Amino acid sequence: MINYLARRIAISMAILLAVSFAVYLIFAILPFDPAALTCGKNCNNPAIIEANRRRLGYDLPIWQQYFVFLKGLFMGRTFGEGAATIFCPAPSFGYSYQEHACVTNSIIEALPVTLSLAIGALVLWLIIGVGLGILAARFRGRAADTGSTIFVLIGTSLPTFLTGLLLLVFVVVKWRILPYPSGNYTPLFENPLAWLNTMILPWITLAFAYAALYTRFVRNAVIETLSEDFIRTARAKGLSEKVVLRKHTLRAALAPLTTMAGLDFAGLLGGAILTEAVFNLPGLGRLSLGAVIDFDLPIIVATTILAATIVIFMNLLVDILYAFIDPRVRVAA
Amino acid sequence: MFKTTTGSSRRGRRAFSGVVALSLLTGVLVSCSSSSGGAGGTLTFLTNAESWTHADPNRNYTGQHIAWFGSFMHRTLTAYARAEGAAGSEVVADLATDTGRASNGNKTWEFTLRDGAKFEDGSDITCEDIKYGVSRTFATDVITDGPAYALSMLDIPKAADGSSVYKGPYKTDGNDTAAYDKAVTCSEDNKTITFNLSRAVGDFNYTVTYLSFSPVPKAKDTGDQYDLAPVSSGPYKIEKYKPKDEMVLVRNENWSKDSDPIRNAYPDKIVVRFGVAEEVRDQLILNDSEPAAMSLDGILPTNLATIFNEDGTPKEEWKGRALNVYDPYVTYTAVNVGKVPCVQVRKAIYYARDFAALQQLGGGAAFGGDPADGVIKPLMGLDYKPVTGLEDFKPEGNAEKAQALMAEAKTACPDVFAKATGAGLTFDVGDTDTNKKAATIWIDSVKKNAGINLKFNFIEPGQYYAVVLDPTKQGDLSRAGWAPDWANASTVIPELFLEGAGFPLSNVGKDPAYAEFKQRAEANLSQSDRKKQGEEWAALNQYVMDQMWVIPGVFSKTQEMWGSKLEGVFFWEPQGAPSFGDIKIKS
Repeated sequence: MINYLARRIAISMAILLAVSFAVYLIFAILPFDPAALTCGKNCNNPAIIEANRRRLGYDLPIWQQYFVFLKGLFMGRTFGEGAATIFCPAPSFGYSYQEHACVTNSIIEALPVTLSLAIGALVLWLIIGVGLGILAARFRGRAADTGSTIFVLIGTSLPTFLTGLLLLVFVVVKWRILPYPSGNYTPLFENPLAWLNTMILPWITLAFAYAALYTRFVRNAVIETLSEDFIRTARAKGLSEKVVLRKHTLRAALAPLTTMAGLDFAGLLGGAILTEAVFNLPGLGRLSLGAVIDFDLPIIVATTILAATIVIFMNLLVDILYAFIDPRVRVAA
Repeated sequence: MFKTTTGSSRRGRRAFSGVVALSLLTGVLVSCSSSSGGAGGTLTFLTNAESWTHADPNRNYTGQHIAWFGSFMHRTLTAYARAEGAAGSEVVADLATDTGRASNGNKTWEFTLRDGAKFEDGSDITCEDIKYGVSRTFATDVITDGPAYALSMLDIPKAADGSSVYKGPYKTDGNDTAAYDKAVTCSEDNKTITFNLSRAVGDFNYTVTYLSFSPVPKAKDTGDQYDLAPVSSGPYKIEKYKPKDEMVLVRNENWSKDSDPIRNAYPDKIVVRFGVAEEVRDQLILNDSEPAAMSLDGILPTNLATIFNEDGTPKEEWKGRALNVYDPYVTYTAVNVGKVPCVQVRKAIYYARDFAALQQLGGGAAFGGDPADGVIKPLMGLDYKPVTGLEDFKPEGNAEKAQALMAEAKTACPDVFAKATGAGLTFDVGDTDTNKKAATIWIDSVKKNAGINLKFNFIEPGQYYAVVLDPTKQGDLSRAGWAPDWANASTVIPELFLEGAGFPLSNVGKDPAYAEFKQRAEANLSQSDRKKQGEEWAALNQYVMDQMWVIPGVFSKTQEMWGSKLEGVFFWEPQGAPSFGDIKIKS
């Protein structure tokens, strides 16, 4: 197992290196001049553009820029001179002149927001999705099944930005059930109630969309498993329907759900852009979106590497979890 | 200053600037202070923008931001009077004791600081602080986006590459600090600042209304990061500023009304909430869920009918809570004269386009604006005179006139004619939905009425001006908008058409008509008789239109709304924004 893990981690590091270099290459190939985007209204002055190009190191060959970036990851990096000097300690992903901050700091600030959003939504959609899916399968063709089908239809049809907007406009603005958050995001440990007030609607928004997908998935998986031979055997042994469902059916049916949930969770950690935008949550999604719009290369590189890291890590985690959930995987390993 | 490609920029901010205005022209009601409110309370601003473009005074360039920060945090040598209508365009002393003293044929300007003005830390504001603040604008690689007037006006030599030999206070080597020290001097008592200019500038006291002439204490300067924590010289200071979240201002206990005759400081606290979804922002005001709040952004088109009548006036229940006024902008299509050296073709495009459809797309006359006849808005008063020679203009397009002009072009400039009717002219616009719809109107109407083919080049909005301001990348036509930087068309005509100026999208340098234009425009910049200067700007506006160096769009409008507990709101015309500093919360 340790050898397996070491090999997987080594491969993951190589992939991350390749991803980071690919991002650099993409921006080198694109027909944009990053230096010309740094001086706003004064960008019609070539002297200013050239000065900015030198200051930001965009005049260096792309491989050299990449080397400086890698060096900064381990040793930190200094930007500017005189009173305008800024030092970004290791691991430095660079300095963002749009955010006026070291990129690592921007990510450290944004990550808890996205984590709050993703974890809360994951818990909610798993409870609703798995619960409704089992109910629909257990009572196939009856009211619970029909109800879950309607839920699935609505959940998969409504885009998250619309669900979020409707919730905000009705629950907060018109009906005033929840107050409009005084700040836009309050950390959990600063004020748990304010945190809950900020996060509850975004959780519902995301969970609504994902729970619909999971309901359909779980329903189908449970129905399929219920028709397997080993279930018939379990019933023939005289086990109660409850035991058959809990101990035999769900264990087999829900194993693939781990992969799905792991990857969906990883995707959300990369940033639930629309939900964060609608609810004004300063998470990784909004950070990435702003960086793309502003062509803020240091942030784009950092968030891409971070998203890749999360996906790779979650894949690894799912593989390990699989070994615990499904005995067949353990045997094969 | 230029208009963003979307009308509002990527983070929802909107750029405005100063004009002399006549509120009678706006035809709207603006609430007047009844003084029933007073000091106290929390004033909230809502915006879809993720942060201020800049909070650093030396980097502030949009009228709305200048109005906001100028009201609450940053003082300057002079400022605009806080009054409605044209009275608001009067320049008054702020940190200075008067509006400046010119000598040496308007090439030397002197300002003396008043006593008792302090920063938020209690230290006195001195001449050196102003001088240091201005010096930062020369660090164009760090202090980006601010106006470049100090760079272009101060008497500091240029290097071979055209940049200033003085590179700002951060550069540690190869920097001609002595040149700056000669151009900007402080008296021995550190109370009087003198600016030595490279050319005569009769309205330099308007120039210094810009926050780029605000004081910055050298010891507190943190370069780029000063944008997050600028030191206040006004009635409020920052308690919290977190982009994508909120800004909270609280009273600056070291500010004194005795040393600041022009600012009011009514609320106890000011909060700006960033990143509020556009529909939520509008609904919070429409439902009066936040009665002490004001939107900093334009109103969504879908919500305009809730607030305004069809003619653009506020509905009865919205009187005193909304306004619909002319903003300082003129939108236009710059013709790249170097690539389209044929006045007949340029005029044919003007007459051929379906202006009525384009105007409707932009919100109609009630909300979008009226047809422009040049680059100077009527609100500019002294500098505006209706342009003649455009009598054949028809809103839906004048095919007969356009075709007659194209017939002339066929013999007068066959190459341009062949290009326009053959391969077609390239039209640069920002890649937005509205521009895509507008493109279909342009293509159809100009082809139908003049036989001219247009090819649209949709450019990512964030890249737009970087592309069109590069002559090697610019197409034949480019969409733009411009507003004067202060109440003088000296910040319009020269900025748009003189070679090497701020926004030369029309590239008129090689036009045979340019030599005369250049001579007259440069002479008028030094004109000290404001009335004569205004008449000449109006004449040069006519000259520009005779050459059709731009195809004018609309004199545009803006809409604002606020909650029921606010009063004292009026449109501060020189800044093209509400007078934020005069807003009170009803008791």
